[in-house]
Amino acid sequence: MRLRIQVVQPAFWTVGPLLALGLLFFALASFATPTQAAPDKFQGEQPSNDFCLACHQQQGIDITLGSESLPVTINPIQFGLSVHDEEGIACVDCHTNISDYPHPDVKEKSVRAFSLAFNESCRQCHEEQYSTVQDGVHQRAISEGVENAPLCSDCHNPHTQTRVIGTESGQLTIAARLHIPQTCAECHGDKYEQYKASVHGKALTEEGNLDVPTCTDCHGVHKISDPTTATFRNSTPALCANCHTDPAIMDKYGISTKVLDTYVADFHGTTVKLFAEQFPDQPTNKAVCTDCHGVHDISKVDNPQTGIALRENLLVKCQRCHPNATANFPGAWLSHYEPSPQHAPIVYYVNLFYKIFIPTVIGGMVFFILTDIYRRIRNRAKGVKHA
Amino acid sequence: MSNQPRTYIRFPLSRRIEHIFLMISFITLASTGLPQKYPTSPISVFIVQALGGIENLRSIHHFTSILVMFAIIYHLLVIVYMIFVLRTPWSMMLSLQDMKDGMQALLYNLGFAKAYPKMGRYTFEEKFEYWAFVWGYTIMGITGFIMWNPITATMYLPGEFVPAAKAAHGGEAVLAVLAIIVWHMYGVNIKHVNRSMFTGKVTEEEMVHEHPRELDDIQAGTANRVPDAATLRKRQRIFYPIAAILTVAMLAGVYGYINTEETALKTIPPISTTVESPLQTPQP
Repeated sequence: MRLRIQVVQPAFWTVGPLLALGLLFFALASFATPTQAAPDKFQGEQPSNDFCLACHQQQGIDITLGSESLPVTINPIQFGLSVHDEEGIACVDCHTNISDYPHPDVKEKSVRAFSLAFNESCRQCHEEQYSTVQDGVHQRAISEGVENAPLCSDCHNPHTQTRVIGTESGQLTIAARLHIPQTCAECHGDKYEQYKASVHGKALTEEGNLDVPTCTDCHGVHKISDPTTATFRNSTPALCANCHTDPAIMDKYGISTKVLDTYVADFHGTTVKLFAEQFPDQPTNKAVCTDCHGVHDISKVDNPQTGIALRENLLVKCQRCHPNATANFPGAWLSHYEPSPQHAPIVYYVNLFYKIFIPTVIGGMVFFILTDIYRRIRNRAKGVKHA
Repeated sequence: MSNQPRTYIRFPLSRRIEHIFLMISFITLASTGLPQKYPTSPISVFIVQALGGIENLRSIHHFTSILVMFAIIYHLLVIVYMIFVLRTPWSMMLSLQDMKDGMQALLYNLGFAKAYPKMGRYTFEEKFEYWAFVWGYTIMGITGFIMWNPITATMYLPGEFVPAAKAAHGGEAVLAVLAIIVWHMYGVNIKHVNRSMFTGKVTEEEMVHEHPRELDDIQAGTANRVPDAATLRKRQRIFYPIAAILTVAMLAGVYGYINTEETALKTIPPISTTVESPLQTPQP
């Protein structure tokens, strides 16, 4: 899950008129308030960010949209730290309808309607991200009329968003990665609370551990798929296996990388594997990883309260689907262990028995048959009729 | 018609139907069972997909196993009838003689014995196969029950018996399939083509070679002796009520086998997806 941001330098943005703009800034700086002296018209020239900020950095200014008021103060320090400023994006590159003062009227009658109408402007530079979002669950909610579903600017405030992809690494920066859960928590606070207390979330939020998954590792970044579908559920084993079969990550924590193999070798995993290959979008009642381990609330398996290495904790999970299960029932699951004399000795010795018994019996049969063939050939050669 | 070789009835029609049923059900069970043992094999995936999915395949496996249970009940009743009513000699029973015959056949093949053993109605090879089936289906029945009813099983047994039953069921399946391919195929199709299980008949020559002692009995008139009508009726009067009770008991066993428990819910309760905290008004 790697973010890629395409920054298209606006062609019309040139440093040519810098001198003129500098002079303008000098002139504007001497204005006490914008209301006192409106700036002149700028025929064919872009106003600079500094020019805009001259007014917009003032505290407490807002515009009225219907019955709501939209604060239009921009903190110049925060904006100065943003990736947009760093890349030299001008205010008017996004606010394309504004070129001078007074600004044209805003038609929208609410703040949200204004944001919704403005969302399209991200597209001119971030086409790839914009189009992937269209396939996601958030955009679907918006098209179904859920106005509060997030727009670009809800996750990436364009006036404060710092760089998320390292210029040299080409990868998500550590700071950005660690910040993701808080972004999602703006709306999904309940999930965030669960995640923060989970083995993954705790490591990320408390230790800054970069091995553990953050929201986007499982849900995707811009194309966030609906996690309630059968398709998502059926793909869970593969999703978890992305990290959990990778020794580069798991060896550090002493976690087995056989978790997928042992799952597929068992009844649930065998079924889900064969089922999902044929009917990826159909529901199955066989357990996947999350049914036993949880979703946002995954805990360490040896956690005394919730860890499912403890039979009584696992039984609760079993009973979700097997309501009549009793105390011995969780033992039917081998807890991702491969049978060995230590773990699951009965299964180990049954397997061992057949490993010896099958070749012995079949080998004996083959031996007898070979002697029979030998005798038939000898008898034929000697002209003796076989018994 | 002296040119026509003399033939003997080896298997009555009912026995031939049993065999055809056993053959079809065995192939069905093996081809729906082994893909579950080897789910990662492309052949398994092909079979599963061709049969309409894993759940379908498993239903076919279960349904066939129920038919096999009925067939076993029928077979047991026939055995009881033959032994207690007709008083047919229990020719399929294993005896020390079979071991001696097997050993002698092996020594003969290797050149250490002068003659091939002279055997009766069932040769040691046939008995070996029959009792292998008895052994195999017993294991399959017990381990199958544990897998079919894991909740009931774990009320009395440690949980680990369930995966152990699965391991034994799979191991036994591989053994059975290999045994059929090696032993049965050689015995009836390669060594010489033996169609008696389909035609019911064997020639006199085959009888001389394979079942000389049975042929002696037939020629001496001591084989297939049927009790006189009065005795038969007397025994049948005892047999039918007992058979009825046994049948009901065994059918009840089958019913219990398949209906002991509701192992799992058909649909898993969904995980909640509420978005609880409302979005704050965005700031520019």
